[in-house]
Amino acid sequence: MSGSAGTFAPLRAQLEAAATAFAGGPDALADILTGIVDDVDRALGEELEIFPVCHHSPASALAMARRLREKQPTVIYLELCEDLRPLLEELRNCRLPVALQAFASDLDGFPPAWAPLNIVAPISEASAEYQAIAYALETPGVELVLVDRSADHVFQWLPAESSDPAADAGPESSDTEDDDAVPDDTGGQPPEESALHGEAVGIGIGDLRPRFAELRSHLLHHGKVRHWSEWWDQYVEQPLADADYDTYRQVMVLIGSLFRRLRPPADAHDDDRDADRERYMWTRMRQHMATSGVDRSRCLYVCGAFHAASPVAEFGTAPGTPDWEISPPTGTRWLYGLIPSSQSAIERQFGLAPGSVSIAQAGWAKAVGRGGVTPYRLSGQQEGRKRGRSKKQAPVPAAPAPVTDRLSGFLSRPPVLDEVDEAELLGWCVDIVRLARRNGYLASTADAIAVFETSILLAGIRNRARPTPYDFADAAVTCIEKDVVPGRRDVRRLCEILLGGDRIGQVGYDALPPLARDVFDRLAPLGLALETRTIQRALLDLTARPELVPCSDLLWVLHRLLPDGIVRPIMGERRLGERSIQESWDLGLGRHQRAVIELGYEGITVEQVLEKRLRRSVWAPDATAAIALAAVEDAILFLPSRRFVDELGTRAVELLAAERTVDDAPEVLRRIRRLLAHYRNTEPELPAWCEAFVTTGYAHYCTLLPTAFVEEETGVRQVAAMLGFLFSMESLALSLGCDRAQLELAVRQSHPEAPAKVALLWAAQSHLGLLPLAQLRTRCAELLTNPLVVPAFPHYLSGFVQALEAVPSLAPFVVEVISEAFARLPDPVLLPWLPKLITTLREGAPDLVPLLVREAGRTFPAGLAALDAWVPPWSADAPAPVAAVSGDGVAAASTGPVVGLLRAHPGACDAVAELLGCDAGWRPDEPPADESRASEAALLLTAQPTTASAVADLLAGAAGAR
Amino acid sequence: MTDMLRAPAEVKYAEELDWLESVDDGPKPFSWRLSPRMVRLFVLGSERADGLDREISQKWFGDRSFVERSIVTLASDRGLLLIGDPGTGKSWLAELLAAAICRNSTLVVQGTAGTTEDHIKYSWNVSMVIARGQSRESMIPSPIMTAMEQGVVGRFEELTRSTSDVQDALISILSEKYVSIPELDDDNIVFAQPGFSIIATANSRDRGVNDLSSALKRRFNFVRIPVVTNKRSEAEIVRFRTSELLRRHRIELDVPPTLLDILLQSFADLRAAAAAAGSDDEKLESALSTAEQIGVLEDAILHSHFFGDRTLRAGTLAGSLVGSLARRAPEDLAILNKYWHGVVEPRSKSDGGSWPEFLEGGREAIATLS
Repeated sequence: MSGSAGTFAPLRAQLEAAATAFAGGPDALADILTGIVDDVDRALGEELEIFPVCHHSPASALAMARRLREKQPTVIYLELCEDLRPLLEELRNCRLPVALQAFASDLDGFPPAWAPLNIVAPISEASAEYQAIAYALETPGVELVLVDRSADHVFQWLPAESSDPAADAGPESSDTEDDDAVPDDTGGQPPEESALHGEAVGIGIGDLRPRFAELRSHLLHHGKVRHWSEWWDQYVEQPLADADYDTYRQVMVLIGSLFRRLRPPADAHDDDRDADRERYMWTRMRQHMATSGVDRSRCLYVCGAFHAASPVAEFGTAPGTPDWEISPPTGTRWLYGLIPSSQSAIERQFGLAPGSVSIAQAGWAKAVGRGGVTPYRLSGQQEGRKRGRSKKQAPVPAAPAPVTDRLSGFLSRPPVLDEVDEAELLGWCVDIVRLARRNGYLASTADAIAVFETSILLAGIRNRARPTPYDFADAAVTCIEKDVVPGRRDVRRLCEILLGGDRIGQVGYDALPPLARDVFDRLAPLGLALETRTIQRALLDLTARPELVPCSDLLWVLHRLLPDGIVRPIMGERRLGERSIQESWDLGLGRHQRAVIELGYEGITVEQVLEKRLRRSVWAPDATAAIALAAVEDAILFLPSRRFVDELGTRAVELLAAERTVDDAPEVLRRIRRLLAHYRNTEPELPAWCEAFVTTGYAHYCTLLPTAFVEEETGVRQVAAMLGFLFSMESLALSLGCDRAQLELAVRQSHPEAPAKVALLWAAQSHLGLLPLAQLRTRCAELLTNPLVVPAFPHYLSGFVQALEAVPSLAPFVVEVISEAFARLPDPVLLPWLPKLITTLREGAPDLVPLLVREAGRTFPAGLAALDAWVPPWSADAPAPVAAVSGDGVAAASTGPVVGLLRAHPGACDAVAELLGCDAGWRPDEPPADESRASEAALLLTAQPTTASAVADLLAGAAGAR
Repeated sequence: MTDMLRAPAEVKYAEELDWLESVDDGPKPFSWRLSPRMVRLFVLGSERADGLDREISQKWFGDRSFVERSIVTLASDRGLLLIGDPGTGKSWLAELLAAAICRNSTLVVQGTAGTTEDHIKYSWNVSMVIARGQSRESMIPSPIMTAMEQGVVGRFEELTRSTSDVQDALISILSEKYVSIPELDDDNIVFAQPGFSIIATANSRDRGVNDLSSALKRRFNFVRIPVVTNKRSEAEIVRFRTSELLRRHRIELDVPPTLLDILLQSFADLRAAAAAAGSDDEKLESALSTAEQIGVLEDAILHSHFFGDRTLRAGTLAGSLVGSLARRAPEDLAILNKYWHGVVEPRSKSDGGSWPEFLEGGREAIATLS
């Protein structure tokens, strides 16, 4: 630092004078201003060359490319997590932008609530770091050393009580653009492209933004710009684009130092973290130099401008600089990979204005196209036009020039702006009109002229020598956008597309994790271009092409593992007992590469991942029997391993036995029924765990039944499902050694109070034979006559309907109860009561109502005419008890086609009767009971014919008139 | 000038405009009195960094880029159409721009269903025509024609309220920049002087009533002015406009900041409710614009000044709010009732302050209207 102490002396003196003039005396302002100059002095005086960068800045990238050609350093130190180094080699296989990712789901030493930890560092082409990486990897003998803290340290340095590490880690992710300043044209959900990074913590090199809102709004206000990216473009990017290296370096350090010194005091934690990172980096660099013995003058240290102006004691490579003790990493196992990124994802992650990265990319392309700089480029990069590598002899490294003061000149003269690039603007104007027309706008050549004129006028009023893309976009909106049509792209978005649009990166096959490569290999027989970003439709005719069955299996596993919408079955199903012969799929694997890559962090093959996930789900602390049964089902469907299924099933039995609530009973019932049906159809005998599950369940639910009936928090649905389990598995359970007495006792012990549960209990008793149907009917009739109970009657009904799950044979009775209620209740009671009945049924038993309706359809006559003569079966049955008492069991069915058939061919019946020892003989044929009623009506008509004749006359007259 | 109820902007800010003109050294398009940058300064107010010797107050509150785009459009070949919800300050911006550019903001045509082509072009003084025949003397030029002759800015308020055939009379004016008078034998063309332009305003709520023809759309640049939702700038606008109104009525009365907060908060709540509403019946008929807030406040102030104890109270404010927002008898009242009991009541319990009084006042007003 002392080497060039005098270089900046005049500038320092000038600033001091200014501070005195403004503040009336040397004070804080003077400290800040001269401090900034000191920072510049210190950074430039360091013997290890510091290269300050700003992220996504074409000016930085240009300066970097120029400097690398000039200096030809042998070691490059880069501010990037040191453990990401092996990934850089894989960049060759990718199309930028992609993001380097570190991922950890098994945490050791971090609060478990933080899982999974996820860090991404996006790399785009128009960045200085990419230039440095490409140079280092393409030039033999050059070493690239990443010196920033590891991914582990990023989280180590977070306060442990933080609940959301993604929000806390790094000022990069928490600091967003002032939303007020940007007119919200986009609206609504962020598009899919910008969500490519998911919930990860973003790491960027050289984030340069004012750290407190007042400074930012002040700069924006006086710069007469809307957002920070625009300010940066106008006041730093453009003037620096063609500046020489010294000017570039000094200005960048100056800005870094300015933002560093003007920080709110509340930033203390960030401050510590920044300082710690600098200590870390300098310590690592000194360690590397000591071990490798490399010459300091042949090295280049690339870091954010913010860190170039570092005040820490560990700064510098001079002998005797104190080292910083780096804490050891935790036991967390980190996994690394590349995921695709996009410009809009970068903008969103780092809170940049929409379109700013695209504009930077366009600026970079233009600067490169203009010539003068040959950028570095990794060979083998996808879509790489071979333009980077010059065959020219590398220039001789330049001798380091002494530091001279470039700042004074830069600060005192207005930025030298580019001459009006008329041709470019004209091209934009013509293109935007064409693009707008294609998107349904009414735009013409006159609009192109107007956009051109307006852009120049806007630039004029905004004090710019040349219209920036931002002016151009404003002008296009003014002149072209006349209507807002939902669903149509707005003109601002069209401008973004025009200026390069969103570029979406892609990770090449070789850089994918083994799982992802395996998936693509195994799907190869489909013959689809799965790596493209469009959705691919796969048609699988599994009978015609049996070789596609493994593909289908894999697709179903992917469908189960990946988030919705990535692998989507259009036709075809896979459920227990069902297999499709044809399937069709929508595959978006290329579009959602990140999801597949992140799956690769969990295992080597998808089957292994599924097995791990299923096992984890059944052993989780909150696992239930229903979850375990679901896992069993998935295992049967997707993993043909009997051993694993048995393991999960055994766990399900354990879970069921340990359960103290019956909340999941409906789910358990549904699943075990399905599994039993599956095994009965496919296997000679039930697996052992299934038998154990049924016997355990029988005992378990019997035990819990009395409490479940009484407890208020247990719903009717749950109790009904328990009864359903008990009744429908009864025969199986009894065959396996259970005792029916247990169930009968449990029902006897149950004394519910809630009406719905009372009804359930009655149904259960009736099923067990403890309550005859006649008595049940009397009870219901009593309910209807008691005016105090009538309001609760819908609940009883709901209970009966629920009971159909367990006792389906009760359906005719339930129809009867409902019909009785409708028949007997007076309208003033019935009408207010109806809506309640409907809502109760809808809430309580939506899936059982169809059963009821079907039964009602069977009971009631289909036509209106038949209704008049219809007698409800239960009324017709009214004398039945008498018949039953008399021991005549067939009284109920004395007419009908069956009876007719039997009478016509009595041989079989007689034989059976003889075998059974019944010799009651055939009853004489009785006339149907309805006949007397029919004759009553006929008698009445014969006695009083006047009315009927009058009607007949009337009808005849009407027919005659017509 | 003090005997005007409401002076136009060029009169009201005459002294400021004179001064700006005297210090303006920027390039001026056509016959503009101020350079574009000075126009922007006049509308948006000055800052210390502008290096002026005096302060210029901010007169229109909103995004800077809207003003810039409007000014630039006027300097170009096209007309300017300000479009937005009622009460977003379109007409006020138009008036300020016209005043700053040509010191004349009164050449206004008001678009209504009864506007005819005569109002846009010219008509005849019938008695003079009978006495002397058709001549330039017996012709009555419209405000737009006057603007053409003088090379200044003409204004057309509520363009979409007038019928399409009348609107289309503007097409030739905007493209050929002259109006021919076929009734006269000579001197029968009025050419627009340099500096002529048109600022039209249109209400986005009236969309589709008389939609602009594509030919006319092409000749206008559209600048969409959104409803102000930023609370801070809204407070600024309400304060600015109310103080102006108070001055006009010569009323000495303080608007307590807490009451202003209550007003802004209730409008913000009602706007949120309207945005969430599914059908038109579930939202208030009012657009809930800033202008309406000012109307409510003005009403409350006048009420308490003339009928109250000359201090603004929360109860009065609530009454005015209900009174001005309840337009349709059952629907609006029901919405306000819901708001009062769903939002204001809990807030008055939790926040206290003037909210309980506001609650009471609102209840009474709703009860009176129901």
